[in-house]
Amino acid sequence: MRRKIACLSMAIALTICLGACGKPAGTAAQSSTAEPSAAPAPETAASGDLAFQKFAEPVDVHIAMGVNPLDTTLPEGDSVDNNQYTRYLLENYNINIICDWTAANGPDFDQKVALSIASNSLPDGLSTSRMYMLKAAKSDLLYDITDLFSQYASEQVRGVMASTDGRAMENASYNGRMVSLVGVDVKATGPSNLNIRKDWLEECGLEVPRTLDDIEQVALAFMEKKPGGRDDLIAMMGPDKNSRVYGHFLDSSGAAYGFDPVFAAYDAYPGYWLDNADGSVTYGSAEAEKMKKALGRLADWYAKGIIDPEMGTRERSAEVANNGQAAMYFGPWWVNGYGGSDVFRNNPDANWQTYPVYDDEGKWNTHLNSVTSTHTIMSKNAPEDAVKAMIIMSNALLRDESTFDVSVELGWYPIRNLMAPYDECEFTYGELYKVLEGEVDPAGYQVPDSSYKLLGADVVKVAEVVENYEKGQELASTQFRKDDMGKFMRMHSLLIGNRPLATQTPDKEVYSITYTMTETMEKKWSNLKKMEDEIILKIITGQTPVEEYDAFVANWHAQGGDEILAEVAELR
Amino acid sequence: MKKRWSTRTHYHLMVAPGLLWLFFFSLVPMVGIVMAFQDFNPSKGYWGSEWVGLENFAYLFSMGDSWQVIRNTLIIAVSKMVLNLVIPLVFALLLNEVTHPRYKRLVQTVVYLPHFLSWVILASIILSLFGYNGVVNHIFGLFGGEPKVWMQDAGIFRQLVIGTDVWKEFGYNAVIFLAALTGVNPNLYEAAAIDGAGRWKSIWHITLPALVPTIVLLGVLSLGSVLNAGFDQVFNLYNPMVYSTGDILDTWVYRMGLVDLQFSLATTAGLFKSVVSFVLIVASYAIAYKAADYRIF
Repeated sequence: MRRKIACLSMAIALTICLGACGKPAGTAAQSSTAEPSAAPAPETAASGDLAFQKFAEPVDVHIAMGVNPLDTTLPEGDSVDNNQYTRYLLENYNINIICDWTAANGPDFDQKVALSIASNSLPDGLSTSRMYMLKAAKSDLLYDITDLFSQYASEQVRGVMASTDGRAMENASYNGRMVSLVGVDVKATGPSNLNIRKDWLEECGLEVPRTLDDIEQVALAFMEKKPGGRDDLIAMMGPDKNSRVYGHFLDSSGAAYGFDPVFAAYDAYPGYWLDNADGSVTYGSAEAEKMKKALGRLADWYAKGIIDPEMGTRERSAEVANNGQAAMYFGPWWVNGYGGSDVFRNNPDANWQTYPVYDDEGKWNTHLNSVTSTHTIMSKNAPEDAVKAMIIMSNALLRDESTFDVSVELGWYPIRNLMAPYDECEFTYGELYKVLEGEVDPAGYQVPDSSYKLLGADVVKVAEVVENYEKGQELASTQFRKDDMGKFMRMHSLLIGNRPLATQTPDKEVYSITYTMTETMEKKWSNLKKMEDEIILKIITGQTPVEEYDAFVANWHAQGGDEILAEVAELR
Repeated sequence: MKKRWSTRTHYHLMVAPGLLWLFFFSLVPMVGIVMAFQDFNPSKGYWGSEWVGLENFAYLFSMGDSWQVIRNTLIIAVSKMVLNLVIPLVFALLLNEVTHPRYKRLVQTVVYLPHFLSWVILASIILSLFGYNGVVNHIFGLFGGEPKVWMQDAGIFRQLVIGTDVWKEFGYNAVIFLAALTGVNPNLYEAAAIDGAGRWKSIWHITLPALVPTIVLLGVLSLGSVLNAGFDQVFNLYNPMVYSTGDILDTWVYRMGLVDLQFSLATTAGLFKSVVSFVLIVASYAIAYKAADYRIF
């Protein structure tokens, strides 16, 4: 194992040397003073305002970054520690970003973080998931930022954190001390909805499906009539070999191309720790009766050829949508837009619409995600100035995000912490439609609350992107200008992908009792999770009969599930 | 003695980089083995973490899937070992009988090529070959077979892993046998022909005995990897549906250590693997010495 790690780190180290990060810090500093910053300067901060202070001397901040390997927005010659965002930081705050290592977002980056924790070699700061933050905190590797945060955090950051009733602060802390900056996520990330090719629906003369029965009818009709002349049509997309079948408590957002709404329509919330009305605590996946109904339904769909036959083995499900085969899929608000510009670039006639899925009684059930998302963790060995600098970076991002030129993907902002008021998407939806309907003039628009940091820019964008909107109509994908994909993706996700949550209230909203691991879980969860992943996929794809699920539930309880349930019950 | 050293200096210099590599990347990291007996905490380091004795081992073997994982590893690794010896051997013998030299060289080169592809690339090719719309299903369709997604079927995943690995490596291994075959004295074949031996007889009595040292050498060397079922390959091919037959020690350690951050438990599994491999190497070496009078060291 150690040898493996050594080899692996060696290999990764080599990759980094060859990669963008190899550029010495000196060059970054020089070139950034030579050319003007692409980002506009913020209003001069009042002297003595710690939240936006400019250091007298450049402060080096060593970071690690997860990067998007497919990104094409970074201009030639720029790098992860020398781009418009790092130059903005250097000019306005004298913060000099030095990137120690990078890795591709997702499993690759997580692996490197795990290695840094195991080898006690964290850089000054990096952004990671809650699980890794807790592991590092438990290992006493993190800087106690309680005092510095209270001095240096901006009013805006505090405001967003306060909007979560203290849950953000609680999640950012370990044993009562604040050990990370925490990102606050929007509510819209939780629920998963049906996305459907409305143009195909119209071509076949069908109504918008509401329930699972309706979806099945539509799918069968699609398969028979092959709208758009697609012989290779896939009626319902499924997860790929790395993605989730449903959001679970550790990764609680709705799963892109997963099946959350199908489970929810049977009042099942797999992967969530449920606080039931009768006072009992259960694990959603272990509620055998409800789960079997939902799984039986999915297995039936799979057998009928409705669900992508290759689900669970594909490298990337998104490709099915990109090449225009897909007719329907489930996912949270961002998928229908941010989820893939290629979907629309390759299929300009496609009209992808988003609708909630109701149960047989006409109720819309959904699970909801943890309010916090990523954590910025800072090494215990980081210099105090670097920690201050990172708090300032988070303040600056929240204040100035809307003024940045985001044609360079915002992911290049060093250790970006997503900070959004919980209802940002829904509120923005309302304001944008007011603009479209002419009630609000984007020119003189005043943002009602500064924590909606993107709203000012969004009201301008919407007028540029959306064409020929008529009051009362259902906005179609074809009404969006696609010449600036950055703007298109955001507007499409906000105005169509988020429509269900912005216009209706779910009838039942389910939270998990906890979104983190308990003590027993740390040891036993990987085994239980493996059992769960395996049985769920096998039943859906018809490898195993649905009756087997009872045996899984019994095993689950026996192999540590009961112990964990007892621990979770105490957390209520 | 002194003189011997000086005349051999260049040999020592040539070996030095290898030895340094061995020291820094194999011996030094072995300190990390102590993690298997600890509840490892990175900030406390190797000497400050709490010692837990054999608790990690006890837990490892109490887990429901550890035996399943060990079984999968053994089945996949042993099958690969045996087939990677037998198939290249048969192939080399057959190719050796081909008299057309250019055709022989062409075949040799073509079957050798897959060896140079990494599993990351090869896995996506195999996934699409065996996918729902892949070539394999098309061929099956011609014979009236129902299309299926091969990689979802736990019943055939192991066979696919073994088969694709043998396909990838047999050309490379055959080259070693072919090299050994060039060393056989052609006079022996002539003499056998005069004595009336046919092709089969001369293969059996001349070619094979000449290859025995090579076969034993390759066999013994491969025994060290009896618990290496091939992380790169399995990791890039598997999915949760085939855990029951496809999850091997290395992928399991990977998920445990690098996904779930259970460093101590992952080290324990790694150490277990190393100890078993070590015992097997020593044993196989003894067997090879006894049975074939063959010594590596």
